[in-house]
Amino acid sequence: MKKLPIPWFDDSRGLKKILLLMRLTSCLLLITFLHVSAHVRSQDKLTVNVRQIGWQPFFDLLQKKSDYTFLYKDNVLPSHDKFDVEVSELTVPQILDNVLQNSPLSYQLMANHLIVITSRASPGIDAPEDIRITGRILSASGDPLAGATVHIKGSGAGTSTDSTGHYTLMAPDDATLVISYVGYETQEIAVGSRTRVDATLTSLPGSINEVVVIGYGTARKKDLTGAVSAINSRDINDLPVAGSDQIMQGKAAGVAITQVTGAPGDGVSVIIRGQASFLNSVPLYVIDGIPTADGINEISPNDIESISVLKDASSASIYGARAANGVVLITTKKGSNGKPRLALNAYTGMQTPEHFIPMANSTQYLNAYNAAAANDYVAGGASNRAPLPLGMLDTLPNVNWQKQVLKNAPMSDAQLSISGGGEGTKYIVSANYLDQKGMILNSSFSRFNLRTSVISTLNKIFEVGTNINLAYDKTRQVGSSGDGYTAPGGNNPGASIVRYALFRTPTTPVIYPNGPYQGQYVDLPETVNGNNVFGDGLNPVALAANTNRNFYNYTLLGDVYLQVSPIAHLKLKSDFGTNLIITDYKQFFPTWGIQRIQNSPNTLNQSNQNNFNYNWTNTATYDLLMGKQSLNILAGTEIIYNDTKIITGANTGFASQTSAFQYLSNGTSITPGVGGNESTWALSSLFGRLTYQYDGKYLASFNFRRDGSSKLDPSAQWGNFFSGSAGWRIDKEAFMQNVKPISLLKLRVDYGQLGDQNALSNYGYASLIGNNGYYAYGTTPAIAYTITAKGNPGLKWQTTTMGDVGLDVGLFSDAITFTADYYRKITTNLLQAPLDPTSAGSVAGAAFENNGKILNEGFEFELSYRHTINNDWSYNVTGNLTTLHNDVEALLENQPIPAGRVNTNVNATSTAVGHPVGAFYMLKQEGIFQTPEDVFTHASQGSPVRPGDVKYLDVNGDGVIDQNDRVFAGSPIPTMTYALTGQVHFRQFDLSLFFQGVTGDKIYNQVAMDIVGFYRPFNITEKTATESWHGEGTSNTRPLLSWNDATNNTQTSTRFLETGDYLKLKNLQLGYNLSNAFLSKLKMHSMRFYVSIQNVFTVTKYTGQDPEMTTSADAASSNDGPKALNIDWGTYPAARTTTVGVNVNF
Amino acid sequence: MKIKNILLFLLLSVLFTGAACKKILNQPVLGNYTPGNFFTSDANAQLAVNDAYKYLAFNSGATNAIWVLGDLASDDVVKGGSSIGDQPDYQAVNQFDILPTNAAVEAVWQNYYNGVFACNVVTDGLTGNSAVSATMQQQGIAQARFLRAYYYFILTLCYGNIPLHLTVQTATEAQTPALAQDTIFTQIENDCIAAAAVLPQTVPATQLGVATQGAALALLAKTYLFHSDLANHYTLAAQTAQQVAALGYSLTNIYWDNFNANTKANTEEIFTVNHIAGTLGLGNELNVWFAPRSPAPTDGYGFFLPTQSLVNNYETATDGTPDPRLDYTIARSGHPYFDLAYDSTWSSTNYNCKKMCQPLSEVPAATKNVGTVNYEALRLSDILLVEAEALNESGQSAAALAPLNQVRERARNTAKYDSSLTGSSTVPAGLLPDITITDQTQLRAIIQRERRSELALEFHRFFDIIRYGSAYATAALTPGAPNFNYATNKWFPIPQSERDANPNLFK
Repeated sequence: MKKLPIPWFDDSRGLKKILLLMRLTSCLLLITFLHVSAHVRSQDKLTVNVRQIGWQPFFDLLQKKSDYTFLYKDNVLPSHDKFDVEVSELTVPQILDNVLQNSPLSYQLMANHLIVITSRASPGIDAPEDIRITGRILSASGDPLAGATVHIKGSGAGTSTDSTGHYTLMAPDDATLVISYVGYETQEIAVGSRTRVDATLTSLPGSINEVVVIGYGTARKKDLTGAVSAINSRDINDLPVAGSDQIMQGKAAGVAITQVTGAPGDGVSVIIRGQASFLNSVPLYVIDGIPTADGINEISPNDIESISVLKDASSASIYGARAANGVVLITTKKGSNGKPRLALNAYTGMQTPEHFIPMANSTQYLNAYNAAAANDYVAGGASNRAPLPLGMLDTLPNVNWQKQVLKNAPMSDAQLSISGGGEGTKYIVSANYLDQKGMILNSSFSRFNLRTSVISTLNKIFEVGTNINLAYDKTRQVGSSGDGYTAPGGNNPGASIVRYALFRTPTTPVIYPNGPYQGQYVDLPETVNGNNVFGDGLNPVALAANTNRNFYNYTLLGDVYLQVSPIAHLKLKSDFGTNLIITDYKQFFPTWGIQRIQNSPNTLNQSNQNNFNYNWTNTATYDLLMGKQSLNILAGTEIIYNDTKIITGANTGFASQTSAFQYLSNGTSITPGVGGNESTWALSSLFGRLTYQYDGKYLASFNFRRDGSSKLDPSAQWGNFFSGSAGWRIDKEAFMQNVKPISLLKLRVDYGQLGDQNALSNYGYASLIGNNGYYAYGTTPAIAYTITAKGNPGLKWQTTTMGDVGLDVGLFSDAITFTADYYRKITTNLLQAPLDPTSAGSVAGAAFENNGKILNEGFEFELSYRHTINNDWSYNVTGNLTTLHNDVEALLENQPIPAGRVNTNVNATSTAVGHPVGAFYMLKQEGIFQTPEDVFTHASQGSPVRPGDVKYLDVNGDGVIDQNDRVFAGSPIPTMTYALTGQVHFRQFDLSLFFQGVTGDKIYNQVAMDIVGFYRPFNITEKTATESWHGEGTSNTRPLLSWNDATNNTQTSTRFLETGDYLKLKNLQLGYNLSNAFLSKLKMHSMRFYVSIQNVFTVTKYTGQDPEMTTSADAASSNDGPKALNIDWGTYPAARTTTVGVNVNF
Repeated sequence: MKIKNILLFLLLSVLFTGAACKKILNQPVLGNYTPGNFFTSDANAQLAVNDAYKYLAFNSGATNAIWVLGDLASDDVVKGGSSIGDQPDYQAVNQFDILPTNAAVEAVWQNYYNGVFACNVVTDGLTGNSAVSATMQQQGIAQARFLRAYYYFILTLCYGNIPLHLTVQTATEAQTPALAQDTIFTQIENDCIAAAAVLPQTVPATQLGVATQGAALALLAKTYLFHSDLANHYTLAAQTAQQVAALGYSLTNIYWDNFNANTKANTEEIFTVNHIAGTLGLGNELNVWFAPRSPAPTDGYGFFLPTQSLVNNYETATDGTPDPRLDYTIARSGHPYFDLAYDSTWSSTNYNCKKMCQPLSEVPAATKNVGTVNYEALRLSDILLVEAEALNESGQSAAALAPLNQVRERARNTAKYDSSLTGSSTVPAGLLPDITITDQTQLRAIIQRERRSELALEFHRFFDIIRYGSAYATAALTPGAPNFNYATNKWFPIPQSERDANPNLFK
């Protein structure tokens, strides 16, 4: 430590400056200093012996023991430092010399025994000779960065670069320069003895300079001519969600991600640029080059380095017959050169219900019951209901069933990774454990991941690498959507628990408080005079408690590759990947209930599915540079193979129901069920891509893929897919050189074709003959086989033709980036199982046919703004907005396809030409009949009506309300989706907010059919109980409470169709980064604590639990696909998750 | 040089993987047969033939709802059930308020066309197939053609002009117009004639239920009877019926033996729909549909209640003793319902159906939906009455008396063999005397009445009524169903599912 000169001290202005600059610890300290200054014992020697003392106590101690007075700024002292001091017989300056050595602090001895403690870097006090430093700041691509900030670490002094990237700055010779620029990594450079300091900044991911992963390669985002949305790990860090697909929500324009339900382990729907199929429009997922068989949830979100979403034809068509629904490319984290680095990320938190539907309490229920009884009273009628005496309330409970089923549930995640490299080998090893309990009993999700990646460069020519992901997860499920129309088992979880919770009246206790069944769940509510006045549904708590439904997944995802670079610019790569997924399903249906009537006899269902895939991909890339032109050539071949085997077993009559005996061998059925099957498909492909650039100004790309698929008839297995795109960097043109603010202006167009072989079943081209039951001759059963599925040898993949025009803009050195796209996507040859004439036999479902046409078109906007205000403050805002117009343009015979069963023989949607896929189609509620005249003059509604009943619109004016009066009443597909993320950094703090929302869609609130009217003895909403029609003018939306008028009032109509618009504050997160000084003591690289809240609030007019929804178990079990979205049967809602977490890097 | 090598390497690797590509695309269908590899053995072919029979069975009363269209539409029964709203679509059939979406109308169409489909799978698979034995090929096709004829017979009786599918077709191919009933009958006749030439005269008891030559001829006779567009159809019907009778069938001594699970494989039976007990669901579900409902201890659903009009159809002896067939067919007050005393309050008409039902001692309440009694789709007395009707209509009224009296004789003599019914083994005086009237019109009415009594509640009545013509039908049906209009109701509407999917239906 060098002795500090005090050149400025005699200058009274200097002291003033100090006093101004410094925030005095306290006025008291100053007073003390004035007071003690009279006593001078400067030569006194002290002996100090303390352990683990902090700076402030240390200075306090010295001040007390000596006549020196200490003066310092609060924030100068590293607050967490602790150290030992062992000195004997030294003066205070000697002690300070000793102790402050190797600390970030220095001291100055002033007149009057005043000692000023300063930070070493502070120039105000420690002002050595300033030297003049010059330099130039460039980007990685060699472009000068104009307006980059260069300042001296620890001081406010600084400057910015000129238009050529140059700067000049006066700085002390031991200064450290901090060079920052929006969108680039901030660099710190120690000046040393230099007078010229140049720097090249590397761009931050997320800005337009980043390199993005594209099909079979990478590209600079600047050079892209297609529409690719890139999501970086820093955009998705620390969201307390379980699934890798969930973290993409709201991060990319044109990518609509919606939770199916809030149940742990339940899927999400990922739709890129609209519903383009009558089957499910699932994108192709490729993880590190391996096409996955089952989405991306087999890897932990923590392992993801980046996600690229290939949205347009030109970027996706390199995946040919699998790309029609877009492609999602995941790149996992890799090691990097350097010492081993250890990273720990962990969070733990609590999930709580975000919203309860206000339901009637016991008093309201009884009053509503009596009102309905009065409304339905007919003099002398046989079926009149006696009113319930209100005195009953004294003995009745008042249960909030939603609170009984939705309880707080914990969720935790921990990830540990070690990475490093050297000598040509880079590696990463990580482990992750996630444990999420569900708010509803017996629902949960847990996952364990192990991952390694090793890349080894053997020499200049050879590189080998491998990625291995192992995962085990377990999902426990309860019914989360749907009404249990089909019996649970297999893929069908059964009726939603929430649905039953909404149905259950508050007057029924959860368990018998006393009596012979004390402590057991109440089955059926008590009857009054033999009547079910308090409902007849199942006890939702008991139903959840008796659900024992488990899925165990064992996953291996990995590859090994060899890359050869025999000459410059040529790379040959052979990559062999595999994805193995073993799914064990086990569900036990116990016999339960007071009457022991549920699941009698008890049953165990099990299945084991083995899904094995491999892909072998060979690519050659060659970069040809010819002056201002460059050409990149990619050629490749690929083979993909998939084999799925399944074994199923079932047995019944288990004598003991405990888990120790829930094994197939313990059942007592004479004919236990067994089953098994296998199915394979393969894809074989050739592909190529030419990318051309002229002077960085004119960009073009041409893609080709030829795919052969075993899913098509052997005579017609091959198809070709072409696409092309072009880009123009307008900003590079001479005439733009004077337009300073524009750092990027690029126009893109592309056009091409894509296929959708995923929608094809493996053997759709062939008719299948299989077991179809029995017939008996004499006394002997004989097995019967027939065609159980009809094939169509002419089947081909549905084809999507897409065009895209895009504009990329960067302003103020890319501080603002803006991307806009218009796309138009037409899917033809739609796979559709036509309505088979029933005379052709309905045992075998109709063969699929290629028919129909869907249009999806829309605009996508992405905007990003980053601003560093000063050393302390910076913020950024990114947002995206997507519009979508979905329209069916043609169908087989142009016949509408009904779907979305909401009641026996009643469908809520119709997919018809001129309307969106799955458009709601139903009667239109005109209002409520107010007077007898109103009833008399209105069209006949079939069943008898009276004032207070729902009035439907006579659309065709024929004086009769019937199914011909149905109208297209809205779409389940949002017309606009948007998201906004804001981040603010203040010193060591960071705050981020993530909003996400949709508008323009409708939700059919099926569960409302029961809970907004007194149609069955179920509970009703509070508003229904208190605000229903009860006389002329009292309501024009809510009919009178009545059982008798249910036939009219519960007709499927716009009465139950609600807006699906919502805006959610999806995530709010506050983080704190520990200071470098402290971290260096702990030998840590970084450490961050944070508090995060997921699903903070929802702004919506929707009256159900959660407006974020897609498909229900009912729609899924009837294979309605996108033809029956947004039908709410009482859905397991998303939780509000509050977590605290830590990220540590060693 | 170097670049050349590299290009060569690239080319070779592309060619190599290209070759592997082609091979990997050969992924045969696993776990399922396809039509191309299924009909390769007699055993496999038999599996497909088994499926062609499957749709005959009454394993589900709602799926095989021919009882609704055949009898509930007639003057013989009303719906029953828990209330008027129990199965409202069946009530609509009874009232002739029938929409194309009617559940019974849909169910019969789908079930019997599924049968046609299963038959076509067999004929498609076996025609010209040398991989199976000649016997299998001939017998399989013959059975399938007979069964297809049977299914089409039911379909055209119910729906009149209907699409005709003789091969397995795609959805588009199957969008064919409804053909005239004349064409359908002709096809049925062709199938029956072809089948009769090949099918065996008899099958062993272990093969009970398998189609025989007699079955094909019996169906042919019935088809001719209905086939009024065919010039000499009565003559053909009579001749064919006589051919059946000549095959050695004889009426059982006891009428009930045709409806008794313990007397299957009797001499009268020509084609039987076989039902057995067990957990595979191969029983007769009508046992539970038709059994009286609570408070009766029979645990039934209480559908299918006989009318007074049907009861009145039965003749009585001089002393008032009714035709013995009444008490075999209908449960009424004062007479046992199998092993129980019948209580007329079990039924809103005071009667319950006994055919297709079994006592609890045979089929306990727990397996009530798995009855074991067969449905006699074709039995000799039916064919004898076809013969009688055909002879009478073709002007041979005197000749018609023999088959008619054969049926009456067995009925009256039943008491001789089953004293449990009447408590006496003598035939009461004046009971079902032989008919001697040869006036065609009078005899026609007698044969019609005889047919109603003999074949009551066997799902034939509505089609007989329609065959008898507008005047008879209107007289028979309008008292119970004022909506009935012969012109529009002689056939049930083609169901909505077909209308929705077949735009060429009425072209």
